[in-house]
Amino acid sequence: MPEINEITKIRRKVLTEIAQMTFEGRLQTDVANILHSVVTEEGPRYRCCVHKERAVLQDRIKSALSQPMNVSMTEAANAALTGDIADTPIIQVLPVACDQCPLDRFIVTDACRNCLAHSCIASCPKKAISVVANRSFIDKTKCVECGLCKRSCPYGAIIEISRPCERACELDAIAAGKARKAVIDYEKCVACGACKMACPFGAISDRSMIVQVIQRIKAQERVYALLAPAFIGQFGVQVRPGQIFTALKKVGFHETREVSVGADAVAVEEAREFAERSQESGSFMTTSCCPAFVGMVEKHLPSLKENISSLVSPMVAAAMEIKKNDPAGIVVFVGPCIAKKGEAQKYPDIVDYVLTFEELAALIVGAGVNVTEMEAGNFASAASKDGNIFARAGGVLQAVENVMGQLAPEVAVQAERCEGLGNCKKCLQEIEAGKRPANFFEGMACTGGCVGGPGVLTDYRVTTRLVDNFAGAAPEKSAVTNPKSGEIGKLGLHRTHTAHAESPTD
Amino acid sequence: MITVELCMGTSCHLLGTQELMDVLDALPAEQRRQLEIKGVTCFKNCGKGPNVRVNGVLLESATPDSLLEVLQTSIEQLEGITNSAGN
Repeated sequence: MPEINEITKIRRKVLTEIAQMTFEGRLQTDVANILHSVVTEEGPRYRCCVHKERAVLQDRIKSALSQPMNVSMTEAANAALTGDIADTPIIQVLPVACDQCPLDRFIVTDACRNCLAHSCIASCPKKAISVVANRSFIDKTKCVECGLCKRSCPYGAIIEISRPCERACELDAIAAGKARKAVIDYEKCVACGACKMACPFGAISDRSMIVQVIQRIKAQERVYALLAPAFIGQFGVQVRPGQIFTALKKVGFHETREVSVGADAVAVEEAREFAERSQESGSFMTTSCCPAFVGMVEKHLPSLKENISSLVSPMVAAAMEIKKNDPAGIVVFVGPCIAKKGEAQKYPDIVDYVLTFEELAALIVGAGVNVTEMEAGNFASAASKDGNIFARAGGVLQAVENVMGQLAPEVAVQAERCEGLGNCKKCLQEIEAGKRPANFFEGMACTGGCVGGPGVLTDYRVTTRLVDNFAGAAPEKSAVTNPKSGEIGKLGLHRTHTAHAESPTD
Repeated sequence: MITVELCMGTSCHLLGTQELMDVLDALPAEQRRQLEIKGVTCFKNCGKGPNVRVNGVLLESATPDSLLEVLQTSIEQLEGITNSAGN
């Protein structure tokens, strides 16, 4: 779970206040009040002064409204209220918030004693170290950041520092730009959200469509909430799934559906595709449900692009079913994921909006609804165990293997799976080089799978257990026998069948 | 006994109730035994969460540290009473 630090609290307070103002119809007039209610004169202070904090907060609010940074707060609020979503990247560095962390990787600290041995000077292969003002000095123009000096110092007086955003990004997509501010390279970025979670200044933000969704609800349109299978336990460990459905009804959603039903259909179709592909010798196929993983393969391992399953994700499959039965319905996918915001842009006619669980909770609170006070009703998952376990690492693989066992038991599945984009990349390279025998691969960008995504509210280890319990209790025992999955499967779930599959992310 | 009432409501959940539960779970067994932990749905103090009530006194914007501090004081008081009663 993302640690609930001050940054998390500020972000959630901003989202909740925006939601509440939107529901109450006073966002346009009151948006600037957030600057005073969230950052109070009494503190706590984490920047130089209250004015800097409020300047940063303005950027946060504009990002939460999906508006560019160069408009006024009122303009941003007005645009969001009319439904506008600015064509800005899904995830971006808030210019004022980035604290310009130091660039120098190796720094000589006060602990340097200017000793006689001078192991640092002796260790440096580039002769970059000399003694200046009674202390070792590293000449940055010569230093190649090899780290030998750090290791050589008997006092440990030379430290290595790295920028948290850079360290978190396993695809080298973020680095210091002009004036030391972080810059995202969108040619490499897959919007996984790792840098956002890592930045101790909260300077990286994903844009939110919370206001745009509330406006559709207030207009009394038929807005469907489509919950990712990781929803179990997100609103409190003791909250029952039925209570969440009741809460969403009370908030004004027309209906709430489970993405896991789409996952059932994807498991069946993916197993079929795998069986078909495995007739060719040396075939190798990866899963396609994690958009950050798919993005990583497309942008960083393009030679393996064709090995990604041609199936749409469970989100798209479940949304297709809603749109088929109710073409005027508005589909709001709610999940743990930031990258889904980018994936949804490829399917503008199928998925209308994407919210994280965090954003949905803020929306619920903003509507004055408390999930713990709702009736649970009689609720059972419409999906089988197979679709429900997509939420946690290893689940997609397990579901596909279950289906294979029933539909094509003669096909041998030699599977590998990884969590984390760096791990996935490394493992795929080894498979491609023939160092690791495998014909099937499950790729998950986040540790723990979807339950470990950047938009969750509960620790992934807890959610993993809750998801498994919930999946085990599902009345439908298998994706193959679930009639619902058969119906969705008939909609044509291959990406080549859907119009916007090839448009770029972001 | 010390009564600890944690707000489980959605607003407080967003602001960190789970962290408070984790810190209570991690207390040494002999301290944990002195606590009666209850969940409540709302203290009508939303937005200033997470809210906890310890022996009837509301602690708003609670953090693991601030909750532990209050509990420590309550436990010391309780032990003081038990000890003097024993003498």
